[in-house]
Amino acid sequence: MKKQAIGIIGLNHNTAPLEIREKFYIKEGSIPELLARIRQEGINEAVVISTCNRTEIYYSGDDNEEMVRKIRRVLSDAAQAQDDWFDHYMYIFKDEEAFRHLFLVASGLDSMVIGEPEIFGQVKEAYRIAASARSTGFFLNKTFHKTFNVAKRIRTETRIGYNPLSISSMAVELAKRIFGNLDEKKILVVGAGEMCEMALKYFQKEGLSDVFITNRTYQRAYKLADEIIGEARPFEALFELLTMVDVVLTSTGSDVPLITLDMLHMAMKKRKNRPIFFIDIAVPRDVDPAINNMDNVYLYDIDDLKDLSQKHLSNRVKESEKAHVIIEDETAKFSEWLDKIDVNPLISHIMATADHIRNREIKKTLARLTNKDPEIASAIDSMTRSMMNKLVHPYLALLKDSEDPAVFDTLKKLFQFEENDEENMDSGDEGL
Amino acid sequence: MNIHLVYTALGFYLVSTLLYALSLVFNRRFLEKPGYYGFITGFIIHIASVLTRYFEAGYTPITNIYESLSFLSLCIAGFFIYIRRIYRVQMIGCIIAPLVSLIVIMSLNFPSEIKPLIPALRSAWLPIHAILSFIGNSIFIVGFFISLLYLAVEKEIKKKKSFFFSDKFPSLSTLDRINYRCMSLGFPFLTAGIITGSIWAGFAWGSYWRWDPKETWSLITWIVYAILFHNRLALGWQGKRTAYMMILGFLLIIFTFLGVNFLLKGSHAYI
Repeated sequence: MKKQAIGIIGLNHNTAPLEIREKFYIKEGSIPELLARIRQEGINEAVVISTCNRTEIYYSGDDNEEMVRKIRRVLSDAAQAQDDWFDHYMYIFKDEEAFRHLFLVASGLDSMVIGEPEIFGQVKEAYRIAASARSTGFFLNKTFHKTFNVAKRIRTETRIGYNPLSISSMAVELAKRIFGNLDEKKILVVGAGEMCEMALKYFQKEGLSDVFITNRTYQRAYKLADEIIGEARPFEALFELLTMVDVVLTSTGSDVPLITLDMLHMAMKKRKNRPIFFIDIAVPRDVDPAINNMDNVYLYDIDDLKDLSQKHLSNRVKESEKAHVIIEDETAKFSEWLDKIDVNPLISHIMATADHIRNREIKKTLARLTNKDPEIASAIDSMTRSMMNKLVHPYLALLKDSEDPAVFDTLKKLFQFEENDEENMDSGDEGL
Repeated sequence: MNIHLVYTALGFYLVSTLLYALSLVFNRRFLEKPGYYGFITGFIIHIASVLTRYFEAGYTPITNIYESLSFLSLCIAGFFIYIRRIYRVQMIGCIIAPLVSLIVIMSLNFPSEIKPLIPALRSAWLPIHAILSFIGNSIFIVGFFISLLYLAVEKEIKKKKSFFFSDKFPSLSTLDRINYRCMSLGFPFLTAGIITGSIWAGFAWGSYWRWDPKETWSLITWIVYAILFHNRLALGWQGKRTAYMMILGFLLIIFTFLGVNFLLKGSHAYI
């Protein structure tokens, strides 16, 4: 068996400006399609993470340059990218660097707002999408599970996520610089996605109650208003809302700006120039950037918030140093583990088989449970994992220590190992 | 007596300035309060100094440059305390305390001995006209600094790079509201100052309006503020435009108040 490599190709808020990230943004609905294209190229394991701050493709397969080229081609087609963009804005990491990067991303250390917790959910979701599209196999399964553990370890052992500076809290802080007290200010949320939901929850926590929600699909706005806070308004009322609210937070999936210069010129006349503050966290942007030049109109987009969050970085430097130590520690461990697997493909096969059985049984058990508490799920997960490790360990130890080919053959039979058969066993099961 | 009180008041103003400066530079908000109380103490002593001067001289002490600057700084101080109470804004003292201190120091460079009042000023209109005009001017002077502050904060929020002023000073809306308050309070005082001046001129010089430089420039200033007032109410001028107009108005006030006396000669030559 050839050496397996884990790699990543991507861009983020540090390497690419918003205009470029907008081009590379891949909607959640389009990810399975992209994964299918990657599989067509002969790369069986891939996970696509695409948020407003990053688009990254994690992959695993044979270790050669061809793989990078293939992924590049797929990505380039999807984003209609120019060739030189890759040189300017993209990074490519392999093996140790690649999973170190993933650890950093998942624990929020590579985020615009250091330590923000949202990215963890986004990484999990990206993995879930890839897994249900059957684009993950032994290596990425292992890598992502490890990543989730590392991120959890960092959350519990450092205070990096303590009192996180979320987008919403930065929005409120900025709004206070303009309006002072926000008690009597009206807030409009445009969109009904996850970011909007989080923003609404934050407003609720802050005691801001004069909130309106509008969305192209009215039902979703209504649902959010019903569940959290606010008053749903039809999307057609957007202009009218712009004439009355003070703070506007937009986060929709629209491809074109929803709030244009002309529209706002008219709205400002009706408002008699009362100040209005926009926070546009959508990628691509929902608000025409030119409106920031208008008097009494203030606009912050996702990149502006990034610069702001850097200011708060210093407070977190100590915690983030601790987190980096953990990441180095875990990277070394994981790297060592992967090396062992490479030394002996049979070991990886045994691990994969055991892990596969474990996953299947977890699925079954969880499906039967009436209590869907995530705590129980995670307890089952860690319990079965340690059971598995303990059960498998004697075999692995034997394999590693023994020079005897008979041991090797016996175990091969026992675990039905055939050379180069790895992919089949991981992707061939319904339960995964 | 009066001069000792002025020095004491100045001492408090300077202490207040120092506390405000420390609070600003080292970002220690808790120093604002003692700074403010120091300022109030200075203000009360300052009032006492003007009152003693009034009793010692026997006339309203706004008749020469020393008295005028002293009274002007008193009005500015009083208006600042009013703003501070109404809007509960902090840190504006960082600008007002040094400003008041500076004007008091300037006043002390001019002759301060009490002289008999020149005949032209011996009138019941002196206190009315002078006090109204000085209150109006001082409100506009505060408005000028609020406007500068507004522009600084506004620029920071638009540029999005660093936040020095907007971290320390009140929000844009608050600054704009204070600016509006300055405008809507200063304008009636300015108007009343011009009208009472005109009436007094009618009695003293036999004509209500003679296009004396002081009168002309007061009228120009008044027109600028009138335009601003109208635009704010009718056209919804807010923020930056108001701030620019307040700055223009301030420059005219300074010219009318001091410039006219030094550059153009007119009948209104006392101050």
